[in-house]
Amino acid sequence: MTERPTAGLSNQPVIAIKLASTSDELMQCYMLRAAVYLGEQQCPYWEEYDGNDYSASHLILSVDGEPAATIRVRWFATFAKLERAVILKRYRSMGLFLPFVRWAREFCGKKGFPKAYLHAQHRLWPIFERDGFRRVSDKLFHFSDHEYGAYYCDLEVDEQKRPTIHTDPMVLNRPEDRLDMPGVLEESMERGASNPHAEWTERRAN
Amino acid sequence: MSNIAHSIGGEAVTTKLAMKMEDSLQAFAVRAACFIGELDVPYSEEFDGHDFGATHIIAYVGDEPVGTLRVRWFQSFAMPERLAVMQRFRGNGIGQLLIERCRKLAESRGCNMLYTQSLPQDVKYWEKHGWRRLVAEEAGAGPKRVVAMVKAVDPSKPLPEVEAPEAVVLRREPQLDASGLPLGSAAN
Repeated sequence: MTERPTAGLSNQPVIAIKLASTSDELMQCYMLRAAVYLGEQQCPYWEEYDGNDYSASHLILSVDGEPAATIRVRWFATFAKLERAVILKRYRSMGLFLPFVRWAREFCGKKGFPKAYLHAQHRLWPIFERDGFRRVSDKLFHFSDHEYGAYYCDLEVDEQKRPTIHTDPMVLNRPEDRLDMPGVLEESMERGASNPHAEWTERRAN
Repeated sequence: MSNIAHSIGGEAVTTKLAMKMEDSLQAFAVRAACFIGELDVPYSEEFDGHDFGATHIIAYVGDEPVGTLRVRWFQSFAMPERLAVMQRFRGNGIGQLLIERCRKLAESRGCNMLYTQSLPQDVKYWEKHGWRRLVAEEAGAGPKRVVAMVKAVDPSKPLPEVEAPEAVVLRREPQLDASGLPLGSAAN
């Protein structure tokens, strides 16, 4: 599900969505937000980079290898909060935004979160409503010059597959956007358990 | 060096060299806002592989990063480039403040020449600030044409006639010694 070419036709752009997993991909997410929020919407730097970037997951969408869109996801106990969603101007006519949000919802659902939650700019309400989001309440609030409403939607969670403390430990070690595929730590199991630092603790005990 | 604001809206205008990851991110964010957001430059051209072998200078209004300049160091010259000032802070001389900080830095390192590549439409801006064309003609073609410009680090010591290898400095550094056209946009 990470690589999802739109079509087999060679003249179609290749769209890929993944969880940012390297510092370079993280930088791409930050720069897309700078382009749109700082460059286009004149948001102050310290409001855009609000201190929550290092406790969040970042999703990146690329078009033919160029970073094009990003969403930040923060994890609360009972819901996942989608935020900082941007798509670069030159890619806006391609209809990528809603499929990207759906991918994010699916991602949150696979992690076992029953709800996705977001603050939608007033002008975008119809778009989210058409895509299955509901108002949390009538409350209208504002920050960083925009009016917002809180929206949520229920996510599809597979009760059999959703990660719990009883899930195979090696499944929980996998890259989070590929919980259904073996990860690098499963490959490491081939080396066996030599417990190389056991004597450190033994030495300290004596 | 006229008309450089020392404060805007009661907030001090300052510059500093990027020393930490967060500083560099601020420099990159200003460039992303101006070049990717405003001018529609692709990400892969803006972040071209030279950012981790360069010095980044950042301008602040209060604690808000509002401008940046990247400086690359060559054997015979320093190359300021990627000059960016956030749209709403333009017209305050912040660009010149960054260039002046670069000039002083070059001076402190014993460097005597600044070299840059200007878009044809920006040549007048550089000339107004004491730069001159290195060669009469422009390098590259089409919308990506650039003009090589130079300035003496110490204004009292004019530059000898020099020829900087402008076709070389556009390349990614691992390929600096490769032959042929420069990589990236300048080749198109």
